[in-house]
Amino acid sequence: MSSSKKVYTKDEWQRKLNEVKIRKSDMNRLVMNYFVTEGYVEAAEKFYKETGTEPDMDLGTITDRMEVRKAIQCGNVQDAIEKVNDLNPEILDTNPQLFFHLQQQRLIELIRSGKVEEALEFAQEELAPRGEENHEFLQELERTVALLAFEDTSSCPVGDLLDVSQRQKTASELNAAILTSQSHEKDPKLPGLLKMLIWVQKQLDEKVSYPRINDFATAALEDPAT
Amino acid sequence: MPASTGWGRPEDLVENLSSMDTTARLKALRDVKNQIIGNKTKKLSYIKLGAVPRVVEILASDAEIPLLVQSAAAVGSFACGNEAGVKAVLDSGVLPHLLKMLSFGDNKQVVEACARTLKMIFQSSLAPRSEMLVGQRMELLLNLLNSSNENVAEVAAHVLARCCESVEHQQAIVDAGGMQRLVTLLSGTIRRREAALDGLAALVKNNPQLSLQLAAMEQGRPLALIIKFVKDKIPRTRFLACMCLANISRSCPFCYPQEWDIRTSMLAVIVKLLEEPGQVGEESPIVLADIVANNEELQRAAYKFDAIVKLSALLQRESLPTKQLEGILMALAELCSRLEESRRQLLDQDPGKNAQAAIISALSHPSESVRVASCTCIKSLSRSVKNLRTTLSDERLVFPLFKLLDDPSPVVQVAALSAVSNVVLDFTPHKSVFFQCGGVSQLIQLSRSMDPMLRLNAVWALRNLLYLADMAVKEKVISELTVSTLTSLIHDPEEMVQEQALAFVRNLVYGSVDSVQQVFAEESAILIAVERQLCIACRPEVCTQGVYVLSNIAAGNELHKEAVMSFVAPVSQEGRNPSPILRFLQDMSNPQLRVAAVWCVMNLSYPDSPGAVTRVARLRESGIEQQLQKMVDDPCLDVKDRVKTALEQFTGLANV
Repeated sequence: MSSSKKVYTKDEWQRKLNEVKIRKSDMNRLVMNYFVTEGYVEAAEKFYKETGTEPDMDLGTITDRMEVRKAIQCGNVQDAIEKVNDLNPEILDTNPQLFFHLQQQRLIELIRSGKVEEALEFAQEELAPRGEENHEFLQELERTVALLAFEDTSSCPVGDLLDVSQRQKTASELNAAILTSQSHEKDPKLPGLLKMLIWVQKQLDEKVSYPRINDFATAALEDPAT
Repeated sequence: MPASTGWGRPEDLVENLSSMDTTARLKALRDVKNQIIGNKTKKLSYIKLGAVPRVVEILASDAEIPLLVQSAAAVGSFACGNEAGVKAVLDSGVLPHLLKMLSFGDNKQVVEACARTLKMIFQSSLAPRSEMLVGQRMELLLNLLNSSNENVAEVAAHVLARCCESVEHQQAIVDAGGMQRLVTLLSGTIRRREAALDGLAALVKNNPQLSLQLAAMEQGRPLALIIKFVKDKIPRTRFLACMCLANISRSCPFCYPQEWDIRTSMLAVIVKLLEEPGQVGEESPIVLADIVANNEELQRAAYKFDAIVKLSALLQRESLPTKQLEGILMALAELCSRLEESRRQLLDQDPGKNAQAAIISALSHPSESVRVASCTCIKSLSRSVKNLRTTLSDERLVFPLFKLLDDPSPVVQVAALSAVSNVVLDFTPHKSVFFQCGGVSQLIQLSRSMDPMLRLNAVWALRNLLYLADMAVKEKVISELTVSTLTSLIHDPEEMVQEQALAFVRNLVYGSVDSVQQVFAEESAILIAVERQLCIACRPEVCTQGVYVLSNIAAGNELHKEAVMSFVAPVSQEGRNPSPILRFLQDMSNPQLRVAAVWCVMNLSYPDSPGAVTRVARLRESGIEQQLQKMVDDPCLDVKDRVKTALEQFTGLANV
């Protein structure tokens, strides 16, 4: 089958690639979009100085957003909540799921630091009413409270809640909500482009044999399969 | 102090809101704000503790920026997402203070916080909307549209949009120059143009004149811009553009070139937006319903875009926001209103039972508008005979649906009645279910209601219940309804009710001789009422149903035919009289009435019955044959065919 496909050598392919003109300024905007969306303020500032590419949002708001993110990553959920409320009270008032996840994260932090009584009281007072309003929340709440039942949380079935990745997940959700409230797209454009590249390569695979990019970090062209 | 929160006792916090010490006041304010944001339970308990007036007091009399910002934010949060909060906030007289800050405030943070709070208040129907559209307030709102702060401009557009409750409100905004200003905002930043789209959509909703005005403005330039936004990369912009254009199309169809193509391309966009998270996904279904309303071709296109599959999947999600649930049901109702394939797809899906279960459970939803939407959806689904025979005659549906006939809200009752009307129109073996659950008694109760809409729909449902019903059903219904109620419904002050009552009698007497016999009960009271109504009624629709009653009776035995004859060809001392039926045969306004009248004559002159010869002679004397001869070339084919048959019967019997 594959022998019937047309084969492009690396040279031919490279020539074709060179024919595609991409404006430098577009590339720069793509990079800047990544920096500001992901919150790399310093990188964005340096990049602006070097290339003159205007960031598509106020860098001051990025700093606020990053402080919120950092607070969650350090386990200071209440601090993060207060910061978001100062930024824009609408975010948590109109987004019950996000609000629940923050409260859940707070409960997780209390359990992590061994404050059992406090954790139970918090779950009862703050989280239980949300569970009554929403069945999905109740299930998540039950899963979280289950952490208290295990002596050794490292091997328990709900131990993943104590992972760093759980903090990351909560932080990302909040980050996305802040971006949306600022009318900014919540994901950078770059990953979308990469997904498109993967899709296009898959489409191409069926038709021709060509130098694929397998390693996206280096974007090196492989030898075409013959 | 509860260890978990680190906050003070609620009572103390509330007390501290009025502390003389500024630092303590600010701390209490921040604490209250951070406790209530996102937490409905806390909002309600602080409202009970009397926190709202104290917070408003700070906004009214303090001057320090942090205090003003925090108090505006707290007021906004109290008003966010719960009506009790909005009420408490409005009762405490916050509105003038907010507007004052918005007019004269020079601090960006304070102005933004006040603007947000205003927006929260105006999301509720409790907000004093018409008060905003007079004098200085209207001027203020329009000025805020031009604010250099886009948060403020956005709120102004939002508040204007929420104030468009009636044509008068819309016109007042346009007269003050609102449409022009919103159009200018269309070319601004993302948030400004989204605010503008929101405002414009509200201005043109259900308003043909303003729809036309917007479409024709500046040689169509703003319109072209809105059309461009349908394909924008930001989902919310796409959504708002679709909403705006759907409102234009709904109130003024075909008012600009290529409207049709644009509606079709909008459809593809909106179907994709259904799965968007947040507000866009929540509100897209209702816009979809607007786009396809009353249009079979677009409904078919939506079907091809998999709209039913997507809506049905969404419907089965847990804890949907009320607005989204309502929208999904309305969209499904529109999509299934005409197309059998859509209905089938919704009910037959694998696992199809769940979509159906979700629609049924929406019948008992706490929100009135969801209950109405689910009735409307069932009404559409029940337009299919196949569904009636199977899925929809299910007890699990019938019981909760009939329960809604008792709903405290008349709007729900009317919606339930019109669904019931279709569901009882039945060829099903499940008729007994309607009696078992007390639904029929309920319908009869409602047919005596003071509300004409309820009476109309109840009689309509009863009429459908009797369609092709067997004797047992008819007897049961008539004995419970009573002859005297039926005669007063025939003479109801509302013509629409008269029509349905006569149609009810028409179905009652259709079929066997026993059925016909029903109108002769209690000294022929029903027949007399029908005949009296036929003598005085003007509306052709009313007369048509009445004439069909006579026609169906004339299909009975000799006695029945004679009873009709004494009305159709009355004999008096002076000999022959013109027949009252002549008036209907001559009515050129409505062919249906002529068809009914000819049917009646045909049944009376049906040759295979003993008294036919005498009857034909009498009909002839009353001038009916002469009239029929004038009708051999009637413009309506239906009339023409029947006239031919009737005349043949006349000639056949004359030659015996």
